[in-house]
Amino acid sequence: MKNRYLALLIVLVLAFGVTLGAVGCGGDEETTTTTEEEGATETTEADGETTTTLSEEPSGDPIKVGAILSLTGPYAGLGEPEKNTIEMLVERVNSNGGINGRPLEVIIEDDATESAQTVAAASKLIDREEVVAIIGATGTGQSMAFREQVVAAEIPNVSIGGGTPITNPLSPWVFQTPWSNNIVVPFTLDYVQSKGISKVAIIADSGGFAQDGAATVEKFLPDYDIEVVAQETFEPGDTDMTAQLTSIKGSDAEAVLMWSAGSGAAVVAKNMNALEMDIPLFGSHGNARRELIEGAGAGGEGFRFAAGKVLVPESYGTDSEGYKVASQFIADYVARYGGPPDTFAGHAYDALMITVEAMRRLDADFTPQELRDEIEATSGFVGIGGTFTYSADDHNGMTVDDLVMYEVKDGAWKLAE
Amino acid sequence: MGFDEQLAQFVFAGLKSGAIYALMALGFTIVYAATGAINFAQGEFFMLGGMLAVWSLDALGVPLLLAGLLAIILTSLIAVIFEELAIRPRRDADPLALIIITIGGSMLISSLARHAFGPNELPLPPFTEGGSLHVLGALVEQQAVWLWLLTALAVAGLTILYSRTKFGLAMRASAVDREAAKLMGIDTRIVVMVTFCLAGALGAIAGVAVTPLTQTAYSVGPSIAVKGFSAAILGGLGSPLASVLGGLILGLAESLSVAALSSEFKDATAILLLLAVLFLRPEGLFRRSRREKV
Repeated sequence: MKNRYLALLIVLVLAFGVTLGAVGCGGDEETTTTTEEEGATETTEADGETTTTLSEEPSGDPIKVGAILSLTGPYAGLGEPEKNTIEMLVERVNSNGGINGRPLEVIIEDDATESAQTVAAASKLIDREEVVAIIGATGTGQSMAFREQVVAAEIPNVSIGGGTPITNPLSPWVFQTPWSNNIVVPFTLDYVQSKGISKVAIIADSGGFAQDGAATVEKFLPDYDIEVVAQETFEPGDTDMTAQLTSIKGSDAEAVLMWSAGSGAAVVAKNMNALEMDIPLFGSHGNARRELIEGAGAGGEGFRFAAGKVLVPESYGTDSEGYKVASQFIADYVARYGGPPDTFAGHAYDALMITVEAMRRLDADFTPQELRDEIEATSGFVGIGGTFTYSADDHNGMTVDDLVMYEVKDGAWKLAE
Repeated sequence: MGFDEQLAQFVFAGLKSGAIYALMALGFTIVYAATGAINFAQGEFFMLGGMLAVWSLDALGVPLLLAGLLAIILTSLIAVIFEELAIRPRRDADPLALIIITIGGSMLISSLARHAFGPNELPLPPFTEGGSLHVLGALVEQQAVWLWLLTALAVAGLTILYSRTKFGLAMRASAVDREAAKLMGIDTRIVVMVTFCLAGALGAIAGVAVTPLTQTAYSVGPSIAVKGFSAAILGGLGSPLASVLGGLILGLAESLSVAALSSEFKDATAILLLLAVLFLRPEGLFRRSRREKV
């Protein structure tokens, strides 16, 4: 009796193991990439092993920077390109002699898109790792969650979340690299009004970025001839918004304005298509993701949103510094990861490189206070999101000139008319 | 859109979610009946159904319908393995301990899924292409019809199994009194194993049918598990038909709350409904109250 069950158990465990193994291998991409840069050769094998032959080896105590990213949870799709970018850039910096001779080390922590975990991650980075700066978090709500800790620890934080509360109210210690809702909203409303639309329905998820977007729309609305005729919400992980959209369909909305990062956006687009709603759908810079196009299918066609120029690099102006920087970044990213970087990868690039450039301008043994001052002194930094100039009262650094309107056409991003 | 058409639209939206909740509630109920414990890994069976279908389609290049079938079979297998490794060794433990074990199992499965499939959401094409159908003035996606069809088949299949087959009789007997069933010669260990296999299949059917509408991701398990569990409690744990009705009612209540109140209260409505039932009629809406006879 016992032996029968033991045999069955062994068979099942083997089957399980085989299935897992097959599944695990099925997702790998067989790529070996080699990049050559100014005297350093970097070769990355399929299993992730990287060997770098350096020209100048950085030495001494590593400069430790922390990064809090959403590697799991609803924002995991945003966190992954951010992590990829940071890892790629750290290697690039270290293979070019580090920062004033010292190696750069970025310690990445996962906040699981949960504020409680963000706080824990921040504690670990500040108290245990004693980082000199923190990049992150991926999400607005999470960025706000550990704000008090960086202020108390007096270390600079360059956030990659897009909500306005990150830089308004302004904290001397907190900077931001995504375009804030404060510039994206008026840019989007300008476009919506220029298309003759006067009645909109707003649909937003309950997360920090989306709620801030909806609130910012209400703040700027009096400046426009646009009326909000319906307002609906959903939870970030929700999988069916048909009920909310049915309410919107019953109103006299001429367009739907959606503020949502994460996976719900594709569902909204898809549901609108299923309900045969032929009014246009507008989104935000939280929607610059391939997953939205893939998930929305036919519902994604005609979807319009504002974001930076990296998705269609020609929009920087082919003879501009921005185009050069972006093209190099795209080429490096594609060579290493097999696909182009998105806007979130761009935010991480900007956050890390602004910090690195600030560190380069300082002496090798700088203090966090000096780093903060130097980051604030960033002027005309050409990044992926745009050209950054910070000041004592502007920790966002960009303007509407760094934005363009995109439209999804034939499953790809094109500049909207 | 006239009020009648709007109402029809809300009702169909409610029935769509309701069908998913019904399948999940069924999974909870049959496991509860067989083991006395709530299996919170039920949500992961839902996730695995969708994920493995996507994997079969993309990585193995298998046609869609076969991919769905493969996903259901693989998920059932994983459910059985889960039962053998996690539940079987502790089968005589306190139901609370078993619940905690299933919660741990759920976290393990979703973490493994994240490593195998990545963190991003993944799409599945619909079973049939084409626009929505016009029914009673409302628009219904073709995939929703497939979902209802599969739900009906699953419920019918389960009902036939329970009431018409000898094995189903054995399952019902084990649910009523496990010791007595053993004394009558029923191998309750096989009953539990088959029950988990069916629970896995039910979760996977829901996952495969719904992923074309919603995309799937490694993390979708827990929230659908909570809804399914609520539906099972609402209808009455232990009775398949009651669970199905509980699921449909929960879906409709959520959808109509968006119509009547505001979408902000959608989730709150579901929980409030559950609380009301627990306070007023704890055995569930559709179960006969148990009366102890002295």
